[in-house]
Parts: sequence; structure tokens; C-alpha cells
Amino acid sequence: MNAPRIHGIVLSGVGGQGVLSLAQILLEALRRSGLHALQSEIHGMSQRGGSVHAQVCYSEIPLTSPILDEGGADLLIALEPLEALRYVSMLRMDGHLVVSEEPQMDMTGYPPLDDIYAALKAVRGAHLIDTEDLARRLNHRQAGGMALLGMASRYLPIEDGVWRDVISQRFEAKGARVTDKNLEAFEAGRGLIHDPVGA
Amino acid sequence: MIQSTLALGVEAVGFAAFDAGIKGAFGYPGTPSTEGFEAVEQLILEARDGRAAQWAANEKVAYDLGLGMSYAGFRSLVTMKHVGLNVAMDAYANSALTGVRGGLVLLVADDPGMHSSQNEQDSRRLAEFAWLPCLEPSTVQECYDLTHRAFELSEALQVPVMLRIVTRLAHCRAALQRKEPLAPAALGLVPEASVQDWVLIPANARRRYVNLLAKQPRLMAEATPLNRLVPGPARRGVALAGMGRAYFGQLLHENPALAELPRLEIAAYPVDPALEEAFLAQVDEVVVFEEDYPVLEERLGLRGTARVRGRLDGALPRTGELAPRLLKAALGLAASAGKAAVSLDLPVRAPRFCDGCGHVDAYGALRDALASVGAPGTRVFGDIGCYTLAAQEPMAAVHAVVEMGASISMAVGAALAGQTPSVAVIGDSTFGHSGLPALLTAADSGVNVTVVILDNRVVGMTGQQPSQALDQVERMARGMGVAADQLQVLLPVPKQHDANVAALATALRHPGLSVVVFRRECIQSIRRGVLKDHDRQERERCTTEACS
Repeated sequence: MNAPRIHGIVLSGVGGQGVLSLAQILLEALRRSGLHALQSEIHGMSQRGGSVHAQVCYSEIPLTSPILDEGGADLLIALEPLEALRYVSMLRMDGHLVVSEEPQMDMTGYPPLDDIYAALKAVRGAHLIDTEDLARRLNHRQAGGMALLGMASRYLPIEDGVWRDVISQRFEAKGARVTDKNLEAFEAGRGLIHDPVGA
Repeated sequence: MIQSTLALGVEAVGFAAFDAGIKGAFGYPGTPSTEGFEAVEQLILEARDGRAAQWAANEKVAYDLGLGMSYAGFRSLVTMKHVGLNVAMDAYANSALTGVRGGLVLLVADDPGMHSSQNEQDSRRLAEFAWLPCLEPSTVQECYDLTHRAFELSEALQVPVMLRIVTRLAHCRAALQRKEPLAPAALGLVPEASVQDWVLIPANARRRYVNLLAKQPRLMAEATPLNRLVPGPARRGVALAGMGRAYFGQLLHENPALAELPRLEIAAYPVDPALEEAFLAQVDEVVVFEEDYPVLEERLGLRGTARVRGRLDGALPRTGELAPRLLKAALGLAASAGKAAVSLDLPVRAPRFCDGCGHVDAYGALRDALASVGAPGTRVFGDIGCYTLAAQEPMAAVHAVVEMGASISMAVGAALAGQTPSVAVIGDSTFGHSGLPALLTAADSGVNVTVVILDNRVVGMTGQQPSQALDQVERMARGMGVAADQLQVLLPVPKQHDANVAALATALRHPGLSVVVFRRECIQSIRRGVLKDHDRQERERCTTEACS
């Protein structure tokens, strides 16, 4: 008999991109789905444009460890392609990666973009999204994060209604238009993955 | 029972303090302790029932505020990061002798792995040093429950109680069940008969020290029910505390065979030696999982009855934070295999100054001013804050960063050794924290030092809390003895660059103490409107009163 498995999600990006905000939406959605869930985040100096990452674990059994081992994540959600590559080894062999192609190059020694994309495409289970193009099409500058969450949702045991509720509540204070724009971005991302193998 | 909410571990401590009926919360910002104060501050602001939430100029002041509230018969929470306790240590260690009236809980957030700190000292050692109890939770819910317990213990034992957490727990977010909040209870002032207990002149202090030592068995007896010995058939055991307990608990779910290992689970100190002996009697070998210093490891090792493994024998790294994979390796469990790491060389993305930050303009002016007085590349003494980022290449504008307030005193020391020019760079909040006494000494020493105060009007790095030195830096500097004609206030913006360089050069050439204040609000705090209300009120005050 197998004990219920512990699932892991890694979120990564650059300070100011909203990594922690996405992690909180994810945590709330998992909790409302009746799962035990923990989120780990490191803030402080990382707010200032450095690498930021958060981890979310969930399971049917109570959890006490907020951090994952290498090979312990089912899913990697990356808001930036270089920041995705740092965490590939966190993924299980059958894990998936949803990643924005849009680079944040304001740092020294950023590797050639072609090398970055080639390395990402070599990872099995990787799904890249041109968030810059999506933002233009949806006329929503910050559509990328929610679109990535929409893509990730195809691999997560969370009902549509729960996603809608959690996202709506998150943006409630900013008005109906902002909420709708975020739901739209989420749906756009969700529509990008048709065959979530291993979901 | 109140419905569950999501909270960070450090926030759970703040919620618990509110629910335990504190009359006040005091602290100085510092990662990862800051959100603990902010959580309780929010509740206190909403409650509008006469409670206090007050950031203090530094950790020692914060602790004394808490102790004063305790003297007056109410519960209080004091929050700080681990290195902040060094600043508050005089107050903390001596409050062990006075004891408390209202319950006093000190939240200290340690930072193993130094995510945003200059060392990884272990606050459990400081609790032991002060002969005071320390509780150490391992989950968000325990953060809440043990804070409640800490207030009860503080009043039962009449001593301050430390609640020690670490970064991973402080910044772990999980569901939390809160209890019905208690209203603040007034125990009344320290009674007349006990006043001498609070007057630590030698005659009283000797008596109080004896009393503190005599209390130790009771402290231990109260800690013991929070600790647990879980027997098992194996002759190898584990001793667990804090995140070690959390990580092992998780491994146990994944590897039920680990239940065969006898385990000593520690959540409260001082640890009863009898409990340690009962545990050691069951094992030939122990692996100890605890954060930071090998506290339990040394204690168990000294008994000499079992082979004790951990940070000291290399079973675990000597430094840095624990992680599940380190537990697995020390226990000989297979590591989980994942996808291969990417072979591409991935340069570090270091934190940097925000675009448009005034600190960048100030450092640019300092660099050019030093060159203009014929002292390019002068070593500059820096301090703690966002502006510490200037130590990194390519800026490399500060050359020593040690602890809060050190810049000014180190510059004076170097000047006394003959360094000219000798320059200190310090932020406004750090200046209020511990730069003031250093500036007093600088003025008294009569040496040639240039102090650059980067005034962004907030505690920028920890989340733009209001600075205690807000709008007062020049008056404070004047009060410490800086001559009026050696005090300049400059605006760090690109178009003022040449004027700023010239002004700084004048200060550098002056043969005595001079202070240059660069003032421009932190752009993050402008974006968030942190000081909007304050500035509006000031403007209104200025139009109604004669304001020059």
C-alpha cells in the first residue's frame, strides 16, 4: 500500500514579477480544494530585483516540511526563462514546466537567449509561452503570471470554480475590470495546454 | 473556534500575542521577524481599544518598552531578528533578574543560512546564557500555540520567555486555527513589596540572581511537558528540534520504517537532563537535527554514552540551514532523483538598487567627490540597509559592513589611526538605531570624519516602515554636537550631481567632523504612498502655524 504522495510546485522569477503573489493564489486554491498545503518563500534582500522563488507542497496527509528536495517537484512555474533553468533539477522525472519566454536581462552575464531557449526545450515536459505577445493580444501588461497559472492548472487537482473564486477574491479590491482581465489571462493560459499528460 | 486562515509562521506569533491579550507590541524591523510585528500591529489598529503597537528606535528600546509594560501589569510582545537581540541583550539578560509582572514574550527570528543577515548565531544560546526559557515551534500552528503557552509560562514562572523561530518557519505559509481572543488583563503594577526586585543595585541583584538560579528546576519542569521521548526498537535514534522536527516528521510519513528510531523531540528549553538520559539509555548512536548551533548535539555528546552525530562530526554541514535532503543523507536514505540539472552556466542574479533609487545618485556623488579631493578609491565604512548593496561590484562603494551603526564609530577609529579622509555612510533609520551615540563620540573626538547620511525617510529594506528619525536627521545631528556650518542637506538626483560633488568635496576637505545628508524618499515608499498622510498633515500644520 502506498502512502498518499506529497506533491510539489516550484515558482520562480525575478523580484517584482509577482512570484509570491502567484504562490499565495495557488496555496489558497489548494486549501479550498480540501488539501493540506504549505508554502515557503524567502523575502528580504531578494525583493530588490534578485532571483525569487517560492515552493508549494500539497497532499492528502498533513504536512510539516515547507521545502522540497531536488526531484520532489511535479511542476515548475517560471516567470522568466533563466530563472526556470535554475530549478529544472527540482522536478521529478515526469514533472512539467510552464515558463515565460520573456527574459529579464537587467543583470551582468545574461547567457545568449538562444542557449536558454534550447536548454528549456530540451527538458521533457516543458511548455513555453510568449507572455509578451499574450500581454499585447489581451491588452493586459501583466497577463503573463496568470496565464502561467492557467497553464499550470491543467496539472493540478483544483476545480474551475475554485480557481475563479480565489482569483476573483484576490483582485476584488482592484475592481471588476482588473478581476476580469486576470480571469481572461488565466483562461488564455489554460487553453494553451490541450493534453496534460501525467495530470 | 475561529475559522482557519492562511498565515506565515511569524504572523502566527503576532496573531497569538493579540489573542493572548497583549496590551502592546514593540519591535525593530529585521528579516525574518518584521511580519510578526506587522501582523499584530494590524490587529491592534483594527481593534481600536487602547492597545499599543510601536516600532522602536532599536531592539533594546523595544525590549525596555515591553518590560515597562510588564511592570505596569500587562502582557506584551517584543519582536526582533537574531542580531537584534545582541543590541537588546543588556535589557534581556537583566530582565531575567527583575522577572516580569505581565507576561513578556520575546519573538526572535534566527536566520540559518544567512538569507538576509550578517551571521547565523543561535538565539537558544542567548536564552541559556540569560537563564531563561525558550520555546521552539516547528510548524505554523505551533508558532501560534506555543506563543500562547509562552505567555502563560511567563506569568506562571515570572520570567520573560523567548520564542525562537527560523527563516523557513517564519516564512512558511499555512492554514492556522486561532482561538477566541482574550481582552488585555490588568494585573496591576509591581506590588510595593516587590519593588526592590526591580532595582538591580548589587545587594538586590545578588538576591535576584540566587532567585533566578533557584527557579531553574521549575523552568525545566515546565518545559518538559512540551518535550517528548518516543521509544522505538532500533539502537540508533534521532534528536530533533525546530525544523529538524518538521523535516523528520515529514520523512516519517514517506518512510514508515523510520518509526523504529527512538526519538527525542524538543520544543522547549531548558531541557531536563533526566529526559536526555532516558533517551540515551535506548540508543548506541544518535543523529541530531537542529538549526544553527550544535546545542543539543553538544549536550548529548558530553554524556559520552552514545555516538552522537550531526554538525560536529560532519554528518551534517557545519554551517547553513537544514533541508530534507541533508536529513536523508545523514540517515543513509536514498536521495530522490529528478531531472538532470541544466549544463548551461547560470550567473547569479543578485539583488540591486531599484531603478531611480536616490542612493545610487548619492554614491555617484561620493565617488566623484573623493576623486576631486585627490582621494579616489578611499575605503568607506558602510552600514546595514538597502545601501549595503553598494558593496557589490561594479559599484564597490563601501568597504566594511559589520553591524548596525558601526560605520560612524569605525570611521572615527580609522581617523584616529591616521586615515584621511575617513568616511562613513549610514541610513536614516540605522542612524536613529545606533548611529546617534556614535556621532556623539565622533563630535567629542574632534577627528576628521565625514558622515554621509542617506535619508530615504523609511526603513527601506524591510518593507518601508516609517523611520523613527523621520524629518529629524539634521536636528539630531546638531544635537549630537555637529556644527551648523558643517551640516549640509543635499538632494540626490542626477541633475544635482555636480553641485552635490562640490558640496561633498567641501565636507571632505574640512579638517573636522562634517555631516552630509542626502534626502530623497525611497521610491518604493512613494509608490506605496507610505508617507502620504504624514506629509499631508505636516503641510496642513505648516499652513496653520507659523512654520519656517
